[in-house]
Amino acid sequence: MRFKLFLATLLTWAGVAGVMALAAEPGKGRPLKFEIQLLWGTNDPESPDPKHKPVDAEVAKKLKQLPLKWSHYFVVNKKSLQTTAGAETKEALSEKCAIEVKDLGKSLFEITLIGKGEKVVKRTQSLPVGEIVVIGGNAPGETSWLVVIKRTE
Amino acid sequence: MEMDIESQLKLQAFLDGELPESDTREVANWVARDKEATALLGELRNTRQALAGAEGVMTLPESREFFWSKVRRDIERQEPRPVAEARKPSLLVQWRRLLVSAGAAAGVILVALLAVGPLGAGPSESESSMADPGAFTYRDYKAQATLVWLSYPAEKEIADGDAADILQ
Repeated sequence: MRFKLFLATLLTWAGVAGVMALAAEPGKGRPLKFEIQLLWGTNDPESPDPKHKPVDAEVAKKLKQLPLKWSHYFVVNKKSLQTTAGAETKEALSEKCAIEVKDLGKSLFEITLIGKGEKVVKRTQSLPVGEIVVIGGNAPGETSWLVVIKRTE
Repeated sequence: MEMDIESQLKLQAFLDGELPESDTREVANWVARDKEATALLGELRNTRQALAGAEGVMTLPESREFFWSKVRRDIERQEPRPVAEARKPSLLVQWRRLLVSAGAAAGVILVALLAVGPLGAGPSESESSMADPGAFTYRDYKAQATLVWLSYPAEKEIADGDAADILQ
């Protein structure tokens, strides 16, 4: 009887330790994967650059739900970015544009857009799998440029 | 003539004052008339006085204080002792008790942790535009999409005539 009570106490403490460890750093060691894309937004149905492909349907659908005035988005460049818990990873999308992703734990990420070597904007937010963050601006000819960061894993 | 047993007992009862009033008068008259009865009554009275005077004082073989101290010790031996003084728990038992109490507390903490969620507030959602004070953010929770729209550097570079290669 007393031994069972003793064992139950030990197991309870072990449970507390486990929950605290998970609460402190959930998902530690698992890779965090992102898909980053540089897009060009236009109202023209076709891009003058034949290498540009239309963005995939899933991202296109999300973009249509945002307050953007363009009807077509073409992929200029697309990269995969992989980081680990607590790490910071940088990936270039063009000569002037790069994205830096830092895991802050608990599904929070710090996303930094770097333009011409300087940090332009830094955003900290939760980013569950499937959610996207779009950083964009106007481009010549009433078009736009967009960097789409999507967490895939 | 010899006196019968019943008469002898009646005389004894008379001497002890145990007879009713009518019998007492009758026996008194009888004693007054009968010499044998008078003699027996006198003998019985003497015997009683002798017995009363013969009750000796009982003396203890030890002193009074020692006798009562033995009585007190016997009483104390038979009384149950208080539990707290009966046995001091061992260190292992005390440790186990502490652990059980701590286990109960740990259970409460575990439930609280599971109910509340991860520890600490941690970093919260925020945004800082280092180069563009005109930037705005829009988040659509249903679409699971966040838009950060910048006026800089694109438009500035357009104004400077340096936007041709902004994407490349």
